[in-house]
Amino acid sequence: MSENILQVDELAVEFKTDDGIVKAVDGVSFALDRGETLGIVGESGSGKSVTNLAIMGLIPQPPGRVTAGRALLKGEDLLQMSTRQLTKVRGNRIAMIFQDPMTSLNPFLSIADQLTEVTRIHLKLSYEKSLTRAIEMLERVGIADPGRRVHDYPHQFSGGMRQRVMIAMALLCKPEVLIADEPTTALDVTIQAQILELMHELQETEGTAIILITHDLGVIASVCHRVGVMYAGKFVEKADVDGLYEHPQHPYTLGLMESIARLDEEATARLTPIVGQPPDLAHLPPGCAFRPRCPYAVDRCAAEEPPLADGPHGGQHACFVDVSTAERKEVVDG
Amino acid sequence: MDSRLESQAMEMQAQEMGMTRTPLLSVRDLRVHFPFKRGSIFNRKHGVIRAVDGVSFDVYPGETFGLVGESGCGKSTLARAILNLIPPTSGSVRFDGTEIAGLGEGAMRPFRRDMQMIFQDPFASLNPRMTVGAIVGEPMKIFNLHDRSRRKLEVMRLLDMVGLNPRYLNRYPHEFSGGQRQRIGVARALAVQPRLIICDEPVSALDVSIQAQVINLLMDLQKELNLAYVFIAHDLSVVRHISDRVGVMYLGRIVEVADRQSLYENPKHPYTKALLSAVPIPDPKLERTRERIMLSGEVPSPEQIYPGCPFADRCPIAEPDCLEAPPALEGDLHQVACIRAG
Repeated sequence: MSENILQVDELAVEFKTDDGIVKAVDGVSFALDRGETLGIVGESGSGKSVTNLAIMGLIPQPPGRVTAGRALLKGEDLLQMSTRQLTKVRGNRIAMIFQDPMTSLNPFLSIADQLTEVTRIHLKLSYEKSLTRAIEMLERVGIADPGRRVHDYPHQFSGGMRQRVMIAMALLCKPEVLIADEPTTALDVTIQAQILELMHELQETEGTAIILITHDLGVIASVCHRVGVMYAGKFVEKADVDGLYEHPQHPYTLGLMESIARLDEEATARLTPIVGQPPDLAHLPPGCAFRPRCPYAVDRCAAEEPPLADGPHGGQHACFVDVSTAERKEVVDG
Repeated sequence: MDSRLESQAMEMQAQEMGMTRTPLLSVRDLRVHFPFKRGSIFNRKHGVIRAVDGVSFDVYPGETFGLVGESGCGKSTLARAILNLIPPTSGSVRFDGTEIAGLGEGAMRPFRRDMQMIFQDPFASLNPRMTVGAIVGEPMKIFNLHDRSRRKLEVMRLLDMVGLNPRYLNRYPHEFSGGQRQRIGVARALAVQPRLIICDEPVSALDVSIQAQVINLLMDLQKELNLAYVFIAHDLSVVRHISDRVGVMYLGRIVEVADRQSLYENPKHPYTKALLSAVPIPDPKLERTRERIMLSGEVPSPEQIYPGCPFADRCPIAEPDCLEAPPALEGDLHQVACIRAG
């Protein structure tokens, strides 16, 4: 029944920096089915954006380099494609929306110019036809008076409206995969609710597979089917959305869930933060990257790196310790 | 010791004895309007942006007053107007009984010691060319507190207090992560022993796992030093966690204000209800069954003048009479500006 659209295997991306070679993504694998939303959650520097830039062939090289892995879009490896082949795929079969809708629209071109370009290039439509298509799409994403607004420039739209324009642009060619990198982070909650609702609706009607990158566990819970949690360039836990929230298995996932203030729980006196600072990719400790901040760490964690293995609730996680029974220790912030 | 510490101790005592509390900060009908001109010289349009338009609230010693609202609702302008960083157009701001709205630089100076600010962006709010010691020590220098060697000790004590190693004294801001920089910002605000700190989105630039560290720190310091906070944020969950009372802003006005529990459990203004229902909750099963109040459109421009309720055109329960007169903020402890509230 479920039809695989995108299959990523053992993806690795390195960057050359002043501190030496940094492995921003280190052996990431996942599969994405038609009509499915995969959430990728992680903090800044966890590699969630780099993973998706690599799939799109957008890693600046140098300093970046995709060192291993494949990304199969219905069997075709995106990582082996020439720039020419990629240009045919990007914006057509895979589209991306970014966090900041202001910097991702060209301020010198009208919305009409930017939207018609997509279908004229990929679908070889005439200007008139692509303009009609653009207006239809703007209407679908909820922009009032699209026939007039299409000739406006980006600065004439508000943040939420610009993000709608970006979504319209991304969906013009009915892509098989939509990568949304923090699409609502810059928006207010009421606008965020509108945009998430819109993405959900479009997925229902078009069957688009969505990769949603975010740091917001609430957003993940409200729209995703499956979730991957990234830390220091790797997936540390993968599970379906219910499993992840009911039985978080990795101490980092657990830590994230405990550290947030929630509207649905008693406002307790104290939050339980994750001790320490986000990992410095240039100076990762040996063994498990989360060990210095982990309240469950044992001696083995410093010597060996835990592999991603099947857990008791149908998901996978990379940890030697069973958090449901292990002893919790105080972590001292170095 | 310090006379101000003594007065704080007395305040605390008075509270315990159940005496009526007097507000530390009292804002009444505060307005900040920015006039603008637009268009060519032949077709010039004059207008006024009503960034803050008649805001009143009180903050008591040792309490956190949370201010929530969407971008452009005027919460940051309000913060700056309270501190006289932007001169208010009209209205009153009383700190500990003294009127400070519109005071000149010199007259305002003694109050600057009592009222400090913590900013959103820990990367932009610390001078990259100054060491941490100099940054945290500067406010003491400005107010002539302590001699040089004592100042150094004080800086080390403050760093320790905010959870940083006192030996980091001679390091520069770029050597710290976002969360650590925000701690430096907190230490700097504490350097002159303020009684009120205005926190403008103090955690929204930080990673999720780090936000909790800074929130806990702010709450611990409040208890220890009997600080009052005005805590401005757009994250409703964080505001609920840290605040004693909360005000909701829309288009430059407070539309609802109540103690934390009443506001979050029994919101009365349709805007507050919509805001709360829009916050995604980290529980997938709950999310699937939850009803969302979808607001159409976006926050309108603050240059427009509204004869009636400014929220009416997006409000799911508006009726024609909502457009007749602007609703006043009414109620005793739970105040709301809506004629159909309930």
